[in-house]
This record gives sequence, structure tokens and C-alpha cells, in this order.
Amino acid sequence: MTKKNSDQLFTDLLRNDRIGEPSKAIEDRLMYSFLLKNSSMKLKQNSFASFFGWLFSVQSLGLKTGLVSVILFVSVMNNQINIDSGTISCTDTIFAKRVLVADSTSFIQSIDSLRTDSLN
Amino acid sequence: MIFRRKNREYSDAELMQQIVSGDQVAFNGLYHRYKDRMYYYFYRMLGNASEQANDFLQELFMKLIEKPESYNTAYPFQTWLFSVANNMCKNEYRRREVRKEYQTSEVWRPNLDYMNDTSVEPEQLIEKIFATLDQLGEEHRSAFLLRYREGFSIKEVAEILALPEGTVKSRLFYAKKMLAEKLEYLKDEIEL
Repeated sequence: MTKKNSDQLFTDLLRNDRIGEPSKAIEDRLMYSFLLKNSSMKLKQNSFASFFGWLFSVQSLGLKTGLVSVILFVSVMNNQINIDSGTISCTDTIFAKRVLVADSTSFIQSIDSLRTDSLN
Repeated sequence: MIFRRKNREYSDAELMQQIVSGDQVAFNGLYHRYKDRMYYYFYRMLGNASEQANDFLQELFMKLIEKPESYNTAYPFQTWLFSVANNMCKNEYRRREVRKEYQTSEVWRPNLDYMNDTSVEPEQLIEKIFATLDQLGEEHRSAFLLRYREGFSIKEVAEILALPEGTVKSRLFYAKKMLAEKLEYLKDEIEL
């Protein structure tokens, strides 16, 4: 009779060993426990505690610094780009700023000057 | 999401990530994947006691429910799960040792009358093997089970038991040697 390799023999023996299944009640209890744990977790998810915890912690400092830099850059550039309406810029180094606001006295004055012009 | 789950088999690590975020379907999947293996391990490690094996199985998965984040996804899940199970068995042996000090008269000894039988059925042989391994101690039994039942490599067994590979090899060799010596049937059947 040829001798078998001991590893193979023990592997075959143990792999074919049947001892039955665990109790079904365990599965039910575990699922119920998971459900309980999960329901308490969902309450926590509604709060901002974890977000503020992350915000004021030392973790992800690079990311936070980057975000703040981007916000600052955008706000500064926004003010720089904003051109006042009603300003006329000239290219010949003479900068004339006229505020085109309706002024009733100017109208009266111009009407008077027109009248005097017509009398003359 | 539901359709994706039906079509795809998730890895253990992926299921664990879903469990951390409270996915019960993932937990159910992981339980069904491992319940029989873990039950067998506890059954054989704790002296063939089905009730205790059930209790330990429940306790093991309760740990997973309570602290799923304790699993590091960088390591293989089954190695981690068996190491947790093995630590639970070790704690149980310690408790038994303490109890034994108070109950010295009731020390259980395996019945070894059958040892010299020359022909046995596979079921009987398994019982004989574990009765023989009981004489060696739990550390030999755990290495034997993990290697031959679960099919872990020597390196993985060493990781689970937190031992050097050489120690695992020597335990397996010593267990096989003792089995060959004790069981007449095996002596004729195997070569070490």
C-alpha cells in the first residue's frame, strides 16, 4: 500500500468533517442588534457635530488652508475686477471721470442759456 | 445601487466599509460568508461543545457590530477575523484554567481506548484526531485547524496566532508526529 502525504490526508479529513450549522436564533439576534446600533447611528448623522469636529481639528490642515486661500483669492479678485459704471476711461493718459447723474439744476441752467441764446 | 449589489460580489473589505456606514445587507452577507467556518473553529477549539460554539459565534459578530472600525482594511479580513476568534478561545482557556484550580477532582481526560484500532470510519477518525490533539494543547489544535481545515498558509497561520513561522511549523510537525504515533491506522497510512 502506498503511503499518502500527511498534509493531504488531514486536509481531506477535516474538509469533509460535518458538524452541523449554527443556530438560526443567533442570526436573528445579530440582525436585531445591528438594527439597534444602526438606528442610533442615524440620529448622529443628522447633527453637524462631526463636521465641526473636523473643521476645528488639526487633521487635513493642508486641505483647509487651500480652501481658505481660494476663498480669499476669489473675494479679492472680485473687488479688483469690478469697474464703476458711468466711468469713461481714455487712452491718452487723461482720465476723466464723469458722474452721469441727472441733476435738475443743470437742466434749468441749460434751458436758461438756450433761452438767452434764442433772444440774442 | 440595489441592482449593482445583485450583480456584483463584494470583497470582505468592501463589505466591512459598508458595515461601518450602517449597511445591514452587507453585515448579513458577511455573516453568511463566515458563519459556518467560524462555528466549526469554535466547536473544535472548545471541546466539541455546540452550545458554547454558538455563544462564541454570536460574541464574535457582536464585536464586529459594536466596533467595525477596529478592522484595518489594509490587512486580509479573514486573517483578522480568525485572530479575533483565536484570542477569544485563549481567554476561554484561561478562564477554564482558573476554574480547574477550584475543581481539581473533575479534570476531563479524553477516552483513548480506541487508539490501537487498525480500521476506522472517517467520522471516528476525526474524533480520534481531536482527542489526541486535546492532549497536546490548544496551541497545537489551533495551528492544525487553521492549516488543514481552513487552508491558510504557514505565514497566515503565524499572523493569526501571532507566532514566528518556525514555531507554527514545529507545532504542526509535532502534532502530526503524535497523531501518527497514537493512531495505529494513521501510522500505516501516512508519511511525515
